[in-house]
Amino acid sequence: MDCRVLSVQSHVVRGYVGNKSASFPLQVLGFEVDTINSVQFSNHTGYEHWKGQVLTADELHVLYEGIKLNNVNQYDYVLTGYTRDDSFLDMVVDIVQELKRANPNLVYVCDPVLGDNGAMYVPENLLPIYRCKVVPAADIITPNQFEAELLTGRNISSEKDAVEVMNLLHSMGPDTVVITSSDLPSPLGDQYLVALGSQKRVTADGTMVTQQIRMDIPRVDAVFVGTGDLFAAMLLAWTHLHPDNLKMACEKTVSVLCHVIKRTITYAKGKIFFRKPNIAKFLLE
Amino acid sequence: MDCRVLSVQSHVVRGYVGNKSASFPLQVLGFEVDTINSVQFSNHTGYEHWKGQVLTADELHVLYEGIKLNNVNQYDYVLTGTLMSIVCDPVLGDNGAMYVPENLLPIYRCKVVPAADIITPNQFEAELLTGRNISSEKDAVEVMNLLHSMGPDTVVITSSDLPSPLGDQYLVALGSQKRDGTMVTQQIRMDIPRVDAVFVGTGDLFAAMLLAWTHLHPDNLKMACEKTVSVLCHVIKRTITYAKEVAGPNRRPSPAQLELRMVQSKADIEDPAIVVNAVVL
Repeated sequence: MDCRVLSVQSHVVRGYVGNKSASFPLQVLGFEVDTINSVQFSNHTGYEHWKGQVLTADELHVLYEGIKLNNVNQYDYVLTGYTRDDSFLDMVVDIVQELKRANPNLVYVCDPVLGDNGAMYVPENLLPIYRCKVVPAADIITPNQFEAELLTGRNISSEKDAVEVMNLLHSMGPDTVVITSSDLPSPLGDQYLVALGSQKRVTADGTMVTQQIRMDIPRVDAVFVGTGDLFAAMLLAWTHLHPDNLKMACEKTVSVLCHVIKRTITYAKGKIFFRKPNIAKFLLE
Repeated sequence: MDCRVLSVQSHVVRGYVGNKSASFPLQVLGFEVDTINSVQFSNHTGYEHWKGQVLTADELHVLYEGIKLNNVNQYDYVLTGTLMSIVCDPVLGDNGAMYVPENLLPIYRCKVVPAADIITPNQFEAELLTGRNISSEKDAVEVMNLLHSMGPDTVVITSSDLPSPLGDQYLVALGSQKRDGTMVTQQIRMDIPRVDAVFVGTGDLFAAMLLAWTHLHPDNLKMACEKTVSVLCHVIKRTITYAKEVAGPNRRPSPAQLELRMVQSKADIEDPAIVVNAVVL
């Protein structure tokens, strides 16, 4: 497989978010991963402290220029995620559009990171850029429910609403839409959250078909950082390996997340046990 | 294995040098790798063009401060191609010429090498650091002993001009390991098949793999070096085969075409077939 991805995301010295979360898994699956680090921070911003430096839109352009001057600006995929700066986001899309002119088959995988649980956590002026410039350029997007609602201006209160919103998102550009999590009730009960996906494609005989799926995913009682970035990277990989089978691609993507999360929570709980002697004492008594 | 490495090296958007060369192989072998990118360039400087930004010493310090403030500054290994480390590739030059500023030499001699536990100089760098010339295997052993006395318990001279008993299609590398700061426990020579091409990032891969294999074989420099050099051989072979194919017949592959086939070599990194024998001196 000679498949080259350009991933423009954060870098953290320690931990797994942004490019740190996306690179290794994609490389393990055999993808060549070129990475532009939009920031370099010591760690993600969920820790008590974080320190580092950000890349400006100009600096991003300079890096891209280097690649272009060497005539190696041919990519099969572009992957982007959390961005805080409007001019940086603009520059990223300009680069994507140029790369698409160099390779019309390029697939742009975009996680339109805007917020969650009813609140935006990026500057509000990014929303119109996502709506009007980014999403129309994207081929695969992975919004959560809040982001899907923001992008379409529609509310999701039922599976029917979600399907309508995914169809609206298709009409804005991307042929593949995955709503990575939602508040919708799961038929398996409240220990599960609902994710949905929709993929439009043209079959061999020229007809347009849409495959739509729902996934019921076991909830985990913890906050993880970097899982959205891992999700987008794995969706890139598994839709590449299963291009006409969103069900399979999503099952593999979500399963990877489940395994990584389970291993992580098991390890983390083990560490807490050892670090809190009073709890250990309590349990031993 | 819960082994954490801090690697302070360059980052390139495209290709395999510095942290790009070191991270993936170490992660494949199960190491946790924290990376501070000392620069971010589009690609390595062997291409016709390169562009990017460098980290200042202050910015490096700021990043380390963040790690320290969170109380997560516990590492088993530090790896660098430039300064301040436990596994140190003292990058100074090659083939008789320095390719970093001359004022770095005293810093390496007096501050860096004394702090290092494992160093991977080439012949030129070993000569510069000790002020001695290497014209024979005996000279090389003396130089490695001198380097031990400067600090590191493990010294690998990664390549040299010394003649190989296997003939001129081979280059000679040497290694020496001490335990408990006193006794030299093992000294080895390796005869490595030459490849007719210039690769970039192989020194970084070598240092990373030597870190890994000395960790997994702590008292067996022979085994650690055989595995390290074997990984290099597999990656280089895969790379040159691919490069010649894409360049086409009778054309010299470009630097872009000669980027290491790192991702494609995952299996060889995980479990390298031994293709080089280290001779115990």
